Amino acid sequence: MTGRDDKQREALKRLADALVDDILNTSDGDILAEFRETHGDPDRHAVEMRDLFEKTVIAANKRRLAAAKAGVAASRRSRPTIAMPVDITEARRRLRAILQAPNAPRRFTLAARKESELSDADVLGMLDDLRELGLFLPDDEKSGGS
Amino acid sequence: MPTGSVATSRSRDEIADAIRTLSPAEWARLRKVAARYAFGRPIEAKDLLQEAMARATDGRTCPAHVDVVKFLAEAMRSIAHGEAEKVEHRLPLVSVAKTGDHQSEALNYPDQALNPEERMLHEEEAERIRHELLALFDDDPVAQVIVEGIMDGMEGEELREFTDLDETAYDSKRKLIRRRIDKKYPEGWKP
Repeated sequence: MTGRDDKQREALKRLADALVDDILNTSDGDILAEFRETHGDPDRHAVEMRDLFEKTVIAANKRRLAAAKAGVAASRRSRPTIAMPVDITEARRRLRAILQAPNAPRRFTLAARKESELSDADVLGMLDDLRELGLFLPDDEKSGGS
Repeated sequence: MPTGSVATSRSRDEIADAIRTLSPAEWARLRKVAARYAFGRPIEAKDLLQEAMARATDGRTCPAHVDVVKFLAEAMRSIAHGEAEKVEHRLPLVSVAKTGDHQSEALNYPDQALNPEERMLHEEEAERIRHELLALFDDDPVAQVIVEGIMDGMEGEELREFTDLDETAYDSKRKLIRRRIDKKYPEGWKP
């Protein structure tokens, strides 16, 4: 935002723009001569600036890599669970096997005393809960045991 | 889209290659531009140039026909004048909060929007700089008029006519003004 409150700042901006226009339109010879006078050796300066540029590129690449990693991690976290066709008979068998194990969690055994009365959704929900608790691993599904 | 069309903007790698092959004169020119745009701002000329290079290679669009020196000069102008926040200039910068990468801090300048108190302080500072600049030309009233005219928004022909100088004398005076300011403030104005 600009306005009367920025009058002096705007004035300096206009002067900077005019001076830069002049710098851009000055010959290479004059620029080099002036640079030697105020800053020193322009060749050495060029080497320093190229070095600074390479450092800038490396920093930018690291930043992009970090952003990409963060993006992948976020994408993994938000990835929706893909619904797979489920064999509900097999799911009920697994749930029974887990709940009948001597170390089965009590709250599950109480809730599932009558597994046959649980709906299919309840069975699948309980298997999900057990999976989250680490009591039922995806590998168990392959091996078919608890 | 016409067939056989050429790329209208440079890729990130093309911009980087163009920067790598800048001549000593072009680097010197950029350093001078940086000093002018850092003038009266809380940023060092070298840091401003580095910031412009970072943005140039971080997604800013550089039309193929635009000279890289001018492109970087415009990037510095944009940063220094606080126009970087405009949508058309906005770059896909990654926020520090998002990545936790502290190197990104270099790309996250404080918000350019000033509160009324800050604005007043900046305005006072700018006024001080203006007086100091004009005082550089106390011995040259014509140059002083030109500097004041530029700051007041006068341009080109209008300014030349106002000073009653012919083109050659006017160009020469502009050169004198630029060199005197460059010499006095080679790295920009510092309080």
